[in-house]
Amino acid sequence: MAVGGLVLVLLAVFLLWRIDSPRAERFRAQIVDTIVPNLEWALVPVTEAVDLVRGFQSYAALQRQNRELRDELQRMKAWKEAALQLEQENAKLLDLNKVRLDPALTVVTGQVIADSGSPFRQSVLLNVGAARDGIKDGWAVTDGLGLVGRISGVGRNSSRVLLLTDSASRVPVTIQPSGQRSLLTGDNTALPILDFIEAPEEVRPGDRVVSSGDGGVFPAGLLVGNVVLARDGRLRLRLTADYERLEFLRVLRNQPGETIAPPEGLVGPLLPAPSVALTEEDLQPEPADG
Amino acid sequence: MADRATGLLGYRVLFAALAAAVAFVQLLPLNLGPGKLPGPDVLMLLAFSWVIMRPDYVPVALIAAVFFLADLLFMRPIGLWTALVVLGTEFLRARSFTLRDTPFLLEWLLVAGVITAVFLANSLILGLFAVTQAGFGLTLIGLVATILAYPLVVILAGRAVGLKKIVPGEVDRLGHRQ
Repeated sequence: MAVGGLVLVLLAVFLLWRIDSPRAERFRAQIVDTIVPNLEWALVPVTEAVDLVRGFQSYAALQRQNRELRDELQRMKAWKEAALQLEQENAKLLDLNKVRLDPALTVVTGQVIADSGSPFRQSVLLNVGAARDGIKDGWAVTDGLGLVGRISGVGRNSSRVLLLTDSASRVPVTIQPSGQRSLLTGDNTALPILDFIEAPEEVRPGDRVVSSGDGGVFPAGLLVGNVVLARDGRLRLRLTADYERLEFLRVLRNQPGETIAPPEGLVGPLLPAPSVALTEEDLQPEPADG
Repeated sequence: MADRATGLLGYRVLFAALAAAVAFVQLLPLNLGPGKLPGPDVLMLLAFSWVIMRPDYVPVALIAAVFFLADLLFMRPIGLWTALVVLGTEFLRARSFTLRDTPFLLEWLLVAGVITAVFLANSLILGLFAVTQAGFGLTLIGLVATILAYPLVVILAGRAVGLKKIVPGEVDRLGHRQ
């Protein structure tokens, strides 16, 4: 009957997970945080070794790619020069304007060390966590090309990114140029769904979609992808981020949007009830001086 | 007696190590895009094959601990899959004595039935508690892949590490190993 007790305990844990999901997920994040980053020394080399084996399989392709990368590197050097000059010019102009960029909009770069382990959950584990980098739940994650997901689960040295394609991912977006709001809903396929569009006839395939910042959860204006009309007739999104090659991701540090606090200063605190009964005299107005 | 006890512990540690290797491979960040077909659940097949061949090498506590950790690592609802797998292994453990003599095909059929029951119970309970789960089609593909992969796991994770079913003559009437 020890088995029966064990099964009941496990089912109770499942109930606990279902009822108090945030606490259970925090527990999960702590366990994952203790185990997986310690395996980084094994996960990263094995991943790179597998990629290397795939590369060896087409040696000619590797040589061609090498040549193309060299050419691209040369072109990038020219861009780097241009970027440096622009940065200097920008700094000078900003200084003229005396504008200070919001220090809240900085990025933390992390490397992908592990997958979610399940084919039904689209999430990756980054090697940046709360202790050294101050990652918080809910921050947006991009890969330099477009939005990739959001942080959902933080440990001391690792954090989990819930990708936009996961079935639990919901991100409010704006479709440009019509400016319509929609909800990007993941459904475990490569093209997440655009839900709750008010006027679908104004949306055309190819329209650019950016995050809308609704609810103060995500920063606004992050490029997410382009609208496509899928074979099943629904409007879906082709993500600009390269999901096949997620390696280095940037976590955008954003503080939550400012919420208007209730006007507490309008009504003062309750005065204490008078302990002594007021007499007629006390109720008369004070005689004015002079 | 003493080296039999260490042999037992060694095989249990081996099971834990195999489970860790399977989990490691599943966590590798290759093929990160969605839309891929699910593969077989190798961890569950490992537990089932070992519990049929050598039930005393995989006590209930070890299976529960390994699968609970797997639940945490693989982003599954915590505890449900573990409970179902424990029930499945206990069912097979009770029949492991009879399964020593049955031909492999019948054993495969029984294991297929247990796997189907585990998958179905998982889907039903998740549906009952209104937890979002993967579509019916994907779960079915995972189920078929798991059932088909059972002989492979028996060979690779069983015979390859020296596990065989207990043959007559190896144990005496009371079930103790000679």
